[in-house]
Amino acid sequence: MENKQIISLLAHNHPGVLLRITSLISRRGFNIDSLTASPSGIEGFSRLTVRMSGDDDQVEQFINQMLKIVDVKKAEVLPEESSVAMELILIKVNSDAGNRNDIIALTSTYHASLVNLGESSLTFRASGTPGQIDKLIAELAPFGILEMARTGIAALENGDTCLAD
Amino acid sequence: MQLNGSEIIAECLLEQGVDTVFGYPGGAVLNIYDALYKYSDRITHILSAHEQGAAHAADGYARTTGKCGVVIATSGPGATNLVTGIATAFMDSIPMVAITGNVSNDLLARDSFQEVDICGITLPVTKHNFIVKNVKDLANVIRKAFRIAMSGRKGPVLIDIPKDVTGAVCEYTPEEPVISPEPVLSSQSEFEAAAQAIDSAKRPMIYMGGGVISSDAEKQLLDFAEKTDCPVATSIMGLGGFPSSHRLFMGTIGMHGGYETGKAADNCDLIITVGARFSDRVAGDRKKFGEKATIIQLDIDKAEINKNVRTDYSLVGDLKDTLARLTEAVSLTKHDEWNAQVSEWSKKSGVKETPKSDDYAHPYHVIEAVRALASDDDIIVTDVGQHQMWVSQKYSFEKPRRWCTSGGLGTMGYGLGAAVGSAVANPGKRVILFTGDGSFHMNLNELATVCSYDLPIIVVVMNNTVLGMVRQWQKLFYGRRFSQTDPHRKTDFTALAQAFGVKGLRIHNDDDAEKVLAEAFASKEPVVIDCRISPDENVLPMIPPGKTVDDMVTEME
Repeated sequence: MENKQIISLLAHNHPGVLLRITSLISRRGFNIDSLTASPSGIEGFSRLTVRMSGDDDQVEQFINQMLKIVDVKKAEVLPEESSVAMELILIKVNSDAGNRNDIIALTSTYHASLVNLGESSLTFRASGTPGQIDKLIAELAPFGILEMARTGIAALENGDTCLAD
Repeated sequence: MQLNGSEIIAECLLEQGVDTVFGYPGGAVLNIYDALYKYSDRITHILSAHEQGAAHAADGYARTTGKCGVVIATSGPGATNLVTGIATAFMDSIPMVAITGNVSNDLLARDSFQEVDICGITLPVTKHNFIVKNVKDLANVIRKAFRIAMSGRKGPVLIDIPKDVTGAVCEYTPEEPVISPEPVLSSQSEFEAAAQAIDSAKRPMIYMGGGVISSDAEKQLLDFAEKTDCPVATSIMGLGGFPSSHRLFMGTIGMHGGYETGKAADNCDLIITVGARFSDRVAGDRKKFGEKATIIQLDIDKAEINKNVRTDYSLVGDLKDTLARLTEAVSLTKHDEWNAQVSEWSKKSGVKETPKSDDYAHPYHVIEAVRALASDDDIIVTDVGQHQMWVSQKYSFEKPRRWCTSGGLGTMGYGLGAAVGSAVANPGKRVILFTGDGSFHMNLNELATVCSYDLPIIVVVMNNTVLGMVRQWQKLFYGRRFSQTDPHRKTDFTALAQAFGVKGLRIHNDDDAEKVLAEAFASKEPVVIDCRISPDENVLPMIPPGKTVDDMVTEME
């Protein structure tokens, strides 16, 4: 079944490791929605979080191929029901005096905070699950989105288990 | 002790048991070649005519010995010339360490003379690669490179070394190579479940591949096949991993495989896949391949499981261990009726031979004549194309590591370099290269190497004057529009051989094949035989790409 899956990778932060991972994604034709890389908190290791579309076979293949990269030490699916996955968005919306209050009221239901007030625009910061962020974008679209930047997902498994275990 | 980077390279090669390397010198590896001069009593360097030939030679060396092949080239074009050889080794899981020089650290990233990002270029065709910017890291990187090349699913590793690193001095402490056993990832219950599936099968077959050879698991496979009484089909990479003369051996499976292997795969109720990967040349239609059968797959590479064809049971680990454990878990069985059925199919396997001619020899006839003269220990190398398929169909291999062919990448021009590597690695054995006039033209410059080292290679050029395999596809699928497959070359291969200092002979037709080949085998020197083949000869049977055995073509023209 085709679905969205989140995969966490733990990799040595050697030069070129991101290239090895992205090159593999590209040449094996995996379908990626987002990829984030950041320090893992473990000396010498980076944590990468990938959101991909694919059926179970493709996800299995993705993990097995990733584990063949010498610098990749761990690759695991984060089950949706037992993980927390969040991303952050900065979004700049067209706005004038007439609709400013409507927009602010709408974004407040998403716990978005106004970070900048322009002459004819408002910029918000919001965080949430990818689904919540998608919805926020959809709701703001009618006002005219000038630009936006999403960080991609940060995700951790619930409970005491850690990727490095 | 204090050594410079180049001496550290030499010492680390010796640590790994390397006594032979292939390569070609150049500016960025001058220091390394200076060390090779100093170590020439312990490390033999074979100089090729072109870096690609050196890479294929390291590959042939590795395939025929099971050891890691080593190739050295300079920066820039030296390094890029290795790429086809590295990719060939990668596709066939052949262990190789490629060492390239690069410009000095202070010249890197400035588009300096003969600078190229070879790590970037080879990233998709190596198991791993390194650039060593500090001499202190050099010894450990070399050790790690050999470990990666030789462990798990084997393959090539590249080490790029800037010139200043090869000259810089640091402390070197010798270390013994670490050999860690390959883990078996599957549990006992998975073995038992697979064994149960095998025990309850009525029409089981084995589909084996090159993994059997890279794991040296031919004995374990033989025991398993005999205990389960399973007929055996092989990919062309697996040839030699199971004796061709054995009653259970069917032959190759796939595009140019036999009728019986295709029928068996289509009618069996169980396929036990051993070190093979369901490539498109075997499973033309991967949705239909073995669709009526339960599939068990044994492989060292977990990523091969469910990659091309979905399996019902998988056992991950070194084949020597997994096969031995599986053999222990299965019951002794007989499948007389099923094996009789396979024999029936094999009787229908033959293809119509083309009529005898005064102007041409028949490829099967030449291959059989070579087989009659060669011992089971002699090594057969091929290039890529029709001749390669004819040899894979007809030559009966009894032992592993006597067969070098570019199975995965299909590299025309692979053969002569690989033959050089095989001959260097196996001084007592005869090396016979079957090539085509198309493939041979690509890298025949290595005849110079054959001559320099006086390697007793017999080159049989199956000369049909056309690019036969592509032409065959043009006949079948492109309405006989022979676009660029008839080069009208006038090359006289016997004169060419003589120009290089190699003996040249000619086979005109079937009648003189035995005599000419006997002369070649009797002489202990390198020989090139120009063997005239009809341009209209086809490789049959053939399952068209994407099709199944039901669509098998057995007759053309």
